[in-house]
Amino acid sequence: MSNSDIYLLTTLLVYTGVAMIASWGLDLQIGETNVLNFGFILFEAIGAYVTAILSLGPDTANGGVQQYVFGAALPFPVPWLVATAAGAVLGLFMGLLTLRRLRGDYEAVVMLVMALVAFYAVSADTSLLNGSEGLSLIPAPFQGLVGGGPNTSMTYRWVYVAVVAFVCLLAFFVVRRITSAPLGRALRAVRENDAVAMSLGKDAVRLRILVQVVGGALGALAGAMLVQWVGAWAPGSWTYPETFTLFAAIIVGGRANASGVALGAIIVPGIILEGVIFLPSIGPSYLTPALQWVLIGVLIIGFMWFRPQGIIPERRRRFPALALPGGVEQSGAIQLVDVEPRRS
Amino acid sequence: MSADTVAGGMPETSRSHMAVATEEGTSCILETRGVRKSFGGVVAVEDVSITVPAGHIVGLIGPNGAGKSTLLSILAGAQVPDAGSIWFLGEEISRQNPVKRARKGLTRTFQLSGDLPRLTVLENLLLAAPDQSGEHLWAALVGKRLWKRQEEALVIRARALLNRFDMRKHEDAYVNELSGGQRRLVEIMRSLMANPRLLLLDEPFAGVNPSLSRRIESHLIDLRADGLTMVLVEHELGVVERCCDPVVVMAMGHVIAEGTMGDVRTRGEVLDAYLAG
Repeated sequence: MSNSDIYLLTTLLVYTGVAMIASWGLDLQIGETNVLNFGFILFEAIGAYVTAILSLGPDTANGGVQQYVFGAALPFPVPWLVATAAGAVLGLFMGLLTLRRLRGDYEAVVMLVMALVAFYAVSADTSLLNGSEGLSLIPAPFQGLVGGGPNTSMTYRWVYVAVVAFVCLLAFFVVRRITSAPLGRALRAVRENDAVAMSLGKDAVRLRILVQVVGGALGALAGAMLVQWVGAWAPGSWTYPETFTLFAAIIVGGRANASGVALGAIIVPGIILEGVIFLPSIGPSYLTPALQWVLIGVLIIGFMWFRPQGIIPERRRRFPALALPGGVEQSGAIQLVDVEPRRS
Repeated sequence: MSADTVAGGMPETSRSHMAVATEEGTSCILETRGVRKSFGGVVAVEDVSITVPAGHIVGLIGPNGAGKSTLLSILAGAQVPDAGSIWFLGEEISRQNPVKRARKGLTRTFQLSGDLPRLTVLENLLLAAPDQSGEHLWAALVGKRLWKRQEEALVIRARALLNRFDMRKHEDAYVNELSGGQRRLVEIMRSLMANPRLLLLDEPFAGVNPSLSRRIESHLIDLRADGLTMVLVEHELGVVERCCDPVVVMAMGHVIAEGTMGDVRTRGEVLDAYLAG
């Protein structure tokens, strides 16, 4: 495999891994809990910007060609961790602002509007995050350990892929733990009918804010990993259609199923959006991107029409047979059962 | 939940609470005082004061538009009254949301769309159990060792309930794969898993075939014998006569009569309301 092939392949793998983590974060919101977050890309953006300003150093560095607030040069993985926390805080803020008072379509619109407002605010204010030009020259992490950066060392590129893969496993673990626990059941109840869930003592507002926080943290982590791979981040990187790429991944792969969402992330952001770098270009330069979005649109409509459950549907939860204490068989008769003490 | 639980029935803890309340002289489990609710210019409930005695099924009847379901929603916390107060087990709950009321033991079923369609029947039941440690983020992340034993105990209890209601074979079915009557049974079983002290039933027989209706009726009578207090909104007066004592009759948002079914059916204002409705 030539260096050029490695370059393309590692790029594809990192982009797919990043999209996978972001898709899991969004699926916790829309797939598990029915929080229609059309502004999800905002989480990736805050993760990317926080990581950038915590890695670049003061804005007097690099000849002072960029203006931004609070520059620092913190060691890996501190920027990623702070970025993840920033995503969680943003999720909490968005949740408190929208989910406490608004429902359904209204909250979806408000989240989309919030993403647009943030987009234009960051684009306009050149001293905040260098305006529409964005931030560049963002240093890649752990270059000293590998002996090179993404543009000089193929080893570095594979190491970065390995780190992304490790974080993917970690994120998968977090999502599966949440969705497999009684917490996941409560989230799905809120998704199905929040009035019923509340009538059973489940605090729907708290649960919806919770998925905003956890999903936001995952989205920001994805942004953090992406920005240190790319080395640059500008408002053009997080326009609202990017959120629909993640929606498409969830719809195609299978909502409320972490494996399905992973498959969707491989197909949509991975193969359709990034895989084209392996194909020879056709027609004018704008044709391929346009065809990509057309294809994503067709996929969304096609799957929602013909297979709304996605390629790998949500799994039906079955519970194993359990014996009563002392091996007594269950029957229809009323009997006393020793119940474990509650842990509150 | 250290006490033994009657599998498929009322938890002992709930019974003891009601017993204490009775011993203290609180003969009613729930009381409303002058409750009023309007929507725009339309008054749905006006000056409603009722009491729900512990261990009874209180029937709430009246013609369409009488305000029965609105009153039930107010009792459950889904609607906030414009005026008046609601007292449950001696505590005023007028401004409490449904979550707080449910955690105190006031649960309900729904007239329409009370389903959680893409949860299995067993999941529906498990969901309703209160104080589940696995519903906390930290416990979920740490893993099963923090919640597995409690979950297994709940599965056993839920299956006993399914056996009692003859629904065990449907435990893995999604609720939207069941008939209308079976869905009503799931709602009732789900409410029972919540350890209710008072169960509000909003037309549980609506759209249910006669055979299943008889089963549901029989289950309600059994649950009353177990000590569960219920408020039943129902149009089928035969069911009300067999299950309920006392009966509250509403019309045009007002309570127009109270008493046994035998008493209220002879009252002129009740006959007028039904004939007019």
